[in-house]
Amino acid sequence: MNGMSNPLSRAGGPPAPNAGASPPTPTKSLALVHLVLLLFIGLPGAVVGAQPQQVAPHGDAGGSGLTKGDSAECMRCHWMETMAYRDSETRQIVDLSIDRDAYEHSVHHDLACSECHARGYRHYPHRTSSADEGLTCVGCHEEHQGDADVSPPDLAGFDIQYQHSVHALEAKPESGAAFSCFSCHNPHSFRPLPDDTPVPEVVAANNQLCLDCHTELDAPVPKGHEWLPRPRQHWGAVRCLDCHTPLEGRHLYAPSHQLLGAAESNQNCVECHSQGGELLSQLYVHRAGEEREQQGFLAHAVYNDAYIIGMSRSPTIDRIGLAVVGLMILGVAAHGVGRYLAHKRKRASQ
Amino acid sequence: MSELYLYPVWLRLWHWLNALLFFALLATGISMHFSLGWLIPFDVAVPTHNVSGILLTLSWLAFLVGNVIGGNGKHYLINFRTLPMDLVRQVRYYVYGIFVDEPHPFHVSADHKLNALQTLSYVGVMYGLMPLLILSGWAFLFSAELPETLFGIGSIWVVAMAHLLLAWMMLLFIVVHLYIITTGETPTTNLKAMITGWHREGGDATGGSATGSG
Repeated sequence: MNGMSNPLSRAGGPPAPNAGASPPTPTKSLALVHLVLLLFIGLPGAVVGAQPQQVAPHGDAGGSGLTKGDSAECMRCHWMETMAYRDSETRQIVDLSIDRDAYEHSVHHDLACSECHARGYRHYPHRTSSADEGLTCVGCHEEHQGDADVSPPDLAGFDIQYQHSVHALEAKPESGAAFSCFSCHNPHSFRPLPDDTPVPEVVAANNQLCLDCHTELDAPVPKGHEWLPRPRQHWGAVRCLDCHTPLEGRHLYAPSHQLLGAAESNQNCVECHSQGGELLSQLYVHRAGEEREQQGFLAHAVYNDAYIIGMSRSPTIDRIGLAVVGLMILGVAAHGVGRYLAHKRKRASQ
Repeated sequence: MSELYLYPVWLRLWHWLNALLFFALLATGISMHFSLGWLIPFDVAVPTHNVSGILLTLSWLAFLVGNVIGGNGKHYLINFRTLPMDLVRQVRYYVYGIFVDEPHPFHVSADHKLNALQTLSYVGVMYGLMPLLILSGWAFLFSAELPETLFGIGSIWVVAMAHLLLAWMMLLFIVVHLYIITTGETPTTNLKAMITGWHREGGDATGGSATGSG
């Protein structure tokens, strides 16, 4: 069970804007990059000297992709944190640096740069057209489906869902670039969360993905969520996508990428907080299962905190229960009073 | 004055531990169910409820063992031949006799500490309600292992409703139990017996012997 660590979630830091799918790169901008490089290290030769130290492999069995093929050549420049330029059209900083550590812990760690960035990077400065290569997660994964040594998960289903999502249909990222996989998922640091990640951390990592862009939600009364009591408590306990994806055809461990806008999303408290709630079973089973996996039998039973307020609520049973218990209390109270009076009468007569 | 050593130490310890767990489960359960954060904060109530439930399971198993090995089980054997008349007498006493100082129809002895009504309700509670309540509690904890549906309805809902219904019935039992304790020879006779182990009755040979509260 892969848990909530959906294949497209990530555990690394915030993704570099558009990392991996750079927008058009005007020659002017490239010249600026060159300038930044020179300022940063003084002499180009120093980069070469620093290089072996910077890309030393971690010694894992598959070997780092950053030491394969021509990757070392790429990393001569791209290891630098300041590797960036300001896009002349959008005025946004485009980060071109590769965090070596994050990459080597990512799911793509054994891929050499050229396995994705195949065309036109042999020469420096890179040609403008090479940045237009239009890399996509789905395309690359499809292309390598038949490869014996790598078998990337098929993302076609996610793509169909994504095409119907509010992100594909309406989103206008601040960066001005078109919305794509890379708006949320950084292929240079992406990795599924390990199975033993505690539920609150899975929730936090999933939700951080949304909150990285939706900064407007970082407010005491988050925009669009005015109806939601204790928004922070909710966000710590459930994933944004638990409400913001369609109920139909859900797969617990491959969350839908059909993200819904405010109008279509679940705003009905009782979907989770009542006996018949459609979301309830999913959430409860999911959380209980997750915790069980992580903690073992007894610890799971003791620390099980999958209970959702209201899940056992049944107004009918509660009303009947309250009435019966209430009547019983009245009954025994009356009985007690009767006994007391009888006792008094008996003593008076003696 | 008659004295009868009715409740051995293990049984009294079990009883009071059971009472404590019951109280903890009831208070935390109510607080979770009705989201009464002021009663017990949610994040305290949940683990407390879980731990108490597990301990109650162990306590119930200890009760079973005690009944089989300790010989306490004989008090829970229903005598179907005399049951109908015993029940009628017992109910008549509670609704009428107790007010007119009639002698108690049942006399506590080492062999029979429970009257017919008690036997019936304790058998129902300890061998019916309790195991079902415990089972539904564990089903909650391990719901991921349950089938998706039970009887064509979502498993969790079935489990939740069963747990809720059984909990209400148990609360009803507790209310009655707490009151019945006071119906001994004096209001505290039975309570004292469950604390000291000795069932003490004062005085006259014909006088109403009290009910046991075990």
